[in-house]
Amino acid sequence: MASTQVPEKPAAQHLRRAYPKQPPAPAAAPAHAAAAYPGEAPRVLDVQHVEKVYGSRNAVTQALADVSFSVAEGEFMGIMGASGSGKSTLLNCISTIDTVTAGHVLVNGADITSIKPAKLTRFRREQLGFIFQDSNLLDTLTARENIALPLTISRVPARETLSRVEEVARRLGILEVLDKYPYQMSGGQQQRVAAARAMVTNPAIIMADEPTGALDSKNARLLLECLETMNRTYRATVLMVTHDAFAASYTHRVIFLRDGRIFTELNRGESPRQEFFNRIMEVVAIMGGEGSDAL
Amino acid sequence: MLCKIAWSNVRRAGRDYLVYLVTLTLAVTVFYAFNTISVQVDIAGVAEQNPGMGDLLGNIIAGLTVFLGFVMGFLMVYANNFIMRRRKKEFGLYQILGMGRGQVARIMALETLIVSGGALVLGLALGVGLSQLMVFFTASLFKTQIADFHFFFSPTALAITVGCLAAIFAVTLVFNLRVVARAKVIDLMGAERRGEAIKLRNPWLSAVVFVVGAVAVGVAYARLLRDGLPWDGGDAAMGAFCVTTLTVVVGTLLLFFGLSGFLLKALQAVRGLYWRGLNMVTLRQLSAKVNTVSFSMAVISMILFLAITSVTAGMSLASVMNESVERGTPVDFTRCLIYFSDKTVPEMNDEAGAGDAADAGSGRAYAAATEPVDMLATSAADTVEYDTANARPFDLASITGASVQVTVYDSTPRGAEVPLVTLRDLCDAVGRELPNGVESDDVADLGLMVMRESDYNRYLAFRGMPEIDLGENGYTLLSDMGESITGIYNDVLARGVEVDFGGHVLKPVAERVNEDASVFQNAMMGMNSGTIVVPDALVEEENLPLYYGYLLVNYKDGVSVEEGDAYVSAPRAYGDVTDASGNIVGGWGAEATRTTTYASTDSMNGLISYLAIYIGFVLVVACAAILTIQQLSGVSDAGPNYRVLSELGTSEREIAHSALAQQTVFFVFPLVVGIAHAVVALKVVIDLVALFGGMSIGGTVGLTAAIFVVAYGGYFAVTYLMSRGIVHDAIRVRHAL
Repeated sequence: MASTQVPEKPAAQHLRRAYPKQPPAPAAAPAHAAAAYPGEAPRVLDVQHVEKVYGSRNAVTQALADVSFSVAEGEFMGIMGASGSGKSTLLNCISTIDTVTAGHVLVNGADITSIKPAKLTRFRREQLGFIFQDSNLLDTLTARENIALPLTISRVPARETLSRVEEVARRLGILEVLDKYPYQMSGGQQQRVAAARAMVTNPAIIMADEPTGALDSKNARLLLECLETMNRTYRATVLMVTHDAFAASYTHRVIFLRDGRIFTELNRGESPRQEFFNRIMEVVAIMGGEGSDAL
Repeated sequence: MLCKIAWSNVRRAGRDYLVYLVTLTLAVTVFYAFNTISVQVDIAGVAEQNPGMGDLLGNIIAGLTVFLGFVMGFLMVYANNFIMRRRKKEFGLYQILGMGRGQVARIMALETLIVSGGALVLGLALGVGLSQLMVFFTASLFKTQIADFHFFFSPTALAITVGCLAAIFAVTLVFNLRVVARAKVIDLMGAERRGEAIKLRNPWLSAVVFVVGAVAVGVAYARLLRDGLPWDGGDAAMGAFCVTTLTVVVGTLLLFFGLSGFLLKALQAVRGLYWRGLNMVTLRQLSAKVNTVSFSMAVISMILFLAITSVTAGMSLASVMNESVERGTPVDFTRCLIYFSDKTVPEMNDEAGAGDAADAGSGRAYAAATEPVDMLATSAADTVEYDTANARPFDLASITGASVQVTVYDSTPRGAEVPLVTLRDLCDAVGRELPNGVESDDVADLGLMVMRESDYNRYLAFRGMPEIDLGENGYTLLSDMGESITGIYNDVLARGVEVDFGGHVLKPVAERVNEDASVFQNAMMGMNSGTIVVPDALVEEENLPLYYGYLLVNYKDGVSVEEGDAYVSAPRAYGDVTDASGNIVGGWGAEATRTTTYASTDSMNGLISYLAIYIGFVLVVACAAILTIQQLSGVSDAGPNYRVLSELGTSEREIAHSALAQQTVFFVFPLVVGIAHAVVALKVVIDLVALFGGMSIGGTVGLTAAIFVVAYGGYFAVTYLMSRGIVHDAIRVRHAL
């Protein structure tokens, strides 16, 4: 624990980024980050020795055991694991919805495990964007209102809110559904609206929890391409939890979780998606072959 | 096993059932406590002062309880439907797991039984406690002393309460069983909450409907204010009143039906407000919910209207009595005599002749009097302790100290059809409308009473007031009714209106009506609707028939009020009222002591206050309970939404505020509409009551408001606190692993 060096850098400069975000020049990376990861983008997320234990003395469930990894700015990263492997718990801990038992989670250098609960909502609002398996749109609001919600919560003026919503909707190809209610849209459209809502505030990280879980293959592909667009054109950092190898193959890097521990990690490098997919499938086969639940 | 499932269901659905339980418990408490009224009245010593009051109150309240039980039953069925609708899927699951419909129905019956049983036990415990406390309240309402306080339990009240609860239980059960029996498993399972709750209407259409509703309500208000209440029951008036009632009901329904659309459109117009914080979420959820519950909101607003109106009107009536009773009791004892008129005498003689011969054998016939009867002397014809060996004449003179007798004449001369002076003439003279409640097609009804100057001066002397001098052609007016009547007379006198009294032009000698000097009999309200005092000669000249005789008696020194009251209150048989030639010329009318008038005012006050509080409380509680259950189930339906909001970075406080704003609209809007209806209705009711005395709502509004604040506000607070809990839980729920 004592070895954990948290750079005491104020997160403020990341809170208010200009919109639309310009791809940062590599030279603009902060000095301390450059020192830690020479030649790479600064780290947005740093997970350090995170543990999570559920239950009381009699029935202890270790959901996460000593999980450490980091995500660089502009990275599209996947977390894979079987049901019960702890991947949703991990996401909840990172997104401050759940608390860790031990360890630290740093977002833009700020330790969120020690942020006071009162400030958590503000942190969540300004730094994180969420996409869920079921789109989790508010069923009483239109698509436009759903996308605008994170902005109105942050008291962004109405004029700016509406223009930002239009802008994101155009990028993600959902302009035509803006005035529809969720129940009037297809599942794929709902997910893309959710994606638009997740990124309309320019968060530091977009968390996607099984975003393709409830979609057919065509819509799943559309959504993944949408996430790619967000990642590539806006340099948005995306952290996607999935058990679907196809979805994972769209990412740059995949961490495999089993029984609350990191089993292995795959880097896509420059390889094409199909090849990355095959490598992922190999790992999945190994994990399945060792007697744990197949994915 | 079924019991176990039912019990755990009740515990699990505790939040929904809690409100149900609390409301039923309150109903049982109030039902029991109020139905012990006849026992309370005994203990509070009201019975000694006013025998029969206990039974009267007991019967009225028992009847009311059945009515309120119905209302409660209806509302509980509705509330219960709300719980059941949300559990359809669960009941579907039971059936898929292989339970028969009968078993599912039994689980449901057991759940209802557990809750009702719990409510009965809790409610009775509270009710028994409350009824002990209420004895003191009763005593203060009826202004009596508690002679012998002891713990009591009323089996009758218990029976009524259990009966009502059983009825509510049975009805609820029937409705619940219907849910299970009718629904197919596929429907039960498919009854997803999401999607089902969203019934969106075209907001423009809704806004138009809202405006139409508002206009309809406005028209109904205008009609009611113009037409007043159909107090005389005429067909045309009743018809108009029904149209007005229908208009307001339809208007209210439309108002609530269109409310959400209107609110949405109105607020969307203000962009900076709509696109700010959770405003649009609040508004959208509100409009989605208002759509599904607009009908029940309209019903609630109308029930609240009924509760406010009946409570306020009743208590105002009581306060009128309270205020006028002092003026209305000038002496220890009064007795009234009604003279037969020329028209009725022949009929009565025919009847008597055709009737039993024994009576005719007395040789007495009916006749119209030409001279006033000496009422004090004639009282001796009454018999005290009649039908006993101790029978003896009613010797009123023996206890009388000072007394005065005044005679009132009809203003329609003998043989004429039209009164010499009517209220309408006087209204026309000062350019005022007839007050609401006295419009009549029969002009004779509006004729004033007439009194001789000499009679009135004797009365004034008796009361110790300065006498008046009318001279040759003076007059003055008397009345002790409310401002709406006396105001007209005051105008007439103040403006010096000349009255044509059968060809004699009379001028007023007073500036205004002296209400205190217009009371001729003990009564809790004004009884003298209008009397003109004229020079003695005119009464003879116009040949006016005798109408009433009033005898005002103060007990003589040495006779205490108790002794005097006891003597005049003892049961007796009325004797004949005969003139010098032995003809029967009249019949005895009302008589009253000051003491009984005061006591009956207190009793009437107590009676009305009791009924008002009872009705008001039960209705308000029932309405508030419905709103609470609706709101809580709405909040828990919106749980996933609140979770999303939290994940998007909204603080729990803001979410709670959003929920609070929605609840405020739901609680306040029906109340506002109900109050608006009530204000208009009360305006009309007050016009009617104001005929009898100065009507003031001031003091009574306090109590009404207190009932509302405690009951309605209490439920509102509970709703808010519980919904905060629901929001908190919804946000804290972990994602599945």
